[in-house]
Amino acid sequence: MSQTLLEAEGVVRNLGGRRVLDGIGLSLARGQGYVLSGDNGSGKTTLLRILSGLDAADAGVLRFQGEQAILPRYPDGWRRRTVYVHQHPYLFHTSVAGNIAYGLKARGEPREQWRQTVQDAIDWAGVREVVAVPPQKLSGGEKQRVALARAKVLAPQLLLLDEPTANLDADGRRRTIDLLARLFAEGVTVLIACHDREIIELAGVRRLHLENGKLVPAG
Amino acid sequence: MDLLEPTREAFALLLRGDAELLQIIWLSLWLSLTAIALIAPPSIALGLILAKRRFPGKRALVVLVQALLSFPTVVIGLAIYLLLSRRGPLGSFELLFSPTAIVIGYMVIALPILVVFTVSAVQGADPRVFETARSLGASRIRAALTTLWEVRFGITAAVVNAFGRVISEVGCAIMVGGNIAGLTRNMPTAIALETSKGDFAQGIALGMVLMVLALCINVVMALLQGEGGLK
Repeated sequence: MSQTLLEAEGVVRNLGGRRVLDGIGLSLARGQGYVLSGDNGSGKTTLLRILSGLDAADAGVLRFQGEQAILPRYPDGWRRRTVYVHQHPYLFHTSVAGNIAYGLKARGEPREQWRQTVQDAIDWAGVREVVAVPPQKLSGGEKQRVALARAKVLAPQLLLLDEPTANLDADGRRRTIDLLARLFAEGVTVLIACHDREIIELAGVRRLHLENGKLVPAG
Repeated sequence: MDLLEPTREAFALLLRGDAELLQIIWLSLWLSLTAIALIAPPSIALGLILAKRRFPGKRALVVLVQALLSFPTVVIGLAIYLLLSRRGPLGSFELLFSPTAIVIGYMVIALPILVVFTVSAVQGADPRVFETARSLGASRIRAALTTLWEVRFGITAAVVNAFGRVISEVGCAIMVGGNIAGLTRNMPTAIALETSKGDFAQGIALGMVLMVLALCINVVMALLQGEGGLK
């Protein structure tokens, strides 16, 4: 039986006089891949940002591995359990390797421990050939793969990805989907907000659907 | 007025490395760099806080800093003079007409430039920088430092502008430094004094040094900015 990683209850978020999230309740099992679908403006990004602690909810309860938080308070200690990746990831003005190592350095891990991890992540993401290119000059797909590698090396308990294949060319999209499939296969708990039919149909992925601020059975 | 002769003399002073001239140049650089080194870190930190945090009185603080930016430096000099004068609240430190007094004046002049430029740079930063850093496990302080690094061209511009402002500043330096030869006489105050005496050679020489310095600062800034600079 799968173990529950995160539960949400009654998550509410109002934006500009509109109720974007209207009492969201969900349960994410450890090691499971999820796709969160819904129309533009349905609140997918908002929900991901609340789960990662980047945005505050107006009300609701979160339980992470049994620990409970009454929103809008989001425990600081939870921030290192999740990683949120923007739709258009921001890469810092350092090298590709420096970007991938950022979170490891921020967590105070010694260099000798993470050096090999970073090299492995470069290969995992298939960005070895652009490792010397300034990150700002990478293509959208390459940036997305570096961002995925940067998140993966931290071994987050929950990876939150916002439209990872949006606006990518065919090759960039293909290679990003391959990485997502590998993440699912490796047992990383991933919640992906997206419309991409191919991601939705990846093997073993469960689908959640947002409509009018509520989670409804996926059609 | 014949400008040719004093200009020729000015070049001669520069070429033979006139000791008094070099001392004035050295003192100017030392005072300006010391002031910027001391005031830049707290000013940049204040700019970062003003750009990123909400707190009571923030608006008033922003208005105060912006007002300081437009204060005549001679008024700043007057305020510091009154504070440091023998009967002033800080008179017991006997700092008036000392290099320290000039450094204090320069720090007050540089502070609003550094703060306003930093606020502008940080507010112009991509909001994803801070969010990405936080999401990757950085503390608030580390994420803030990452933001500063990402807008380092703007911060460099702040420091260079502040340096350019103080090294060419005359009103405050005369008031609190007293323009004492060998102690507080710097390039702008020396130019003002020599010109008032009708001795243009040293003024022209120092003026040329200031202009070359300004040019060098801008070249260095353009090099530092690289692709992050103006296109």
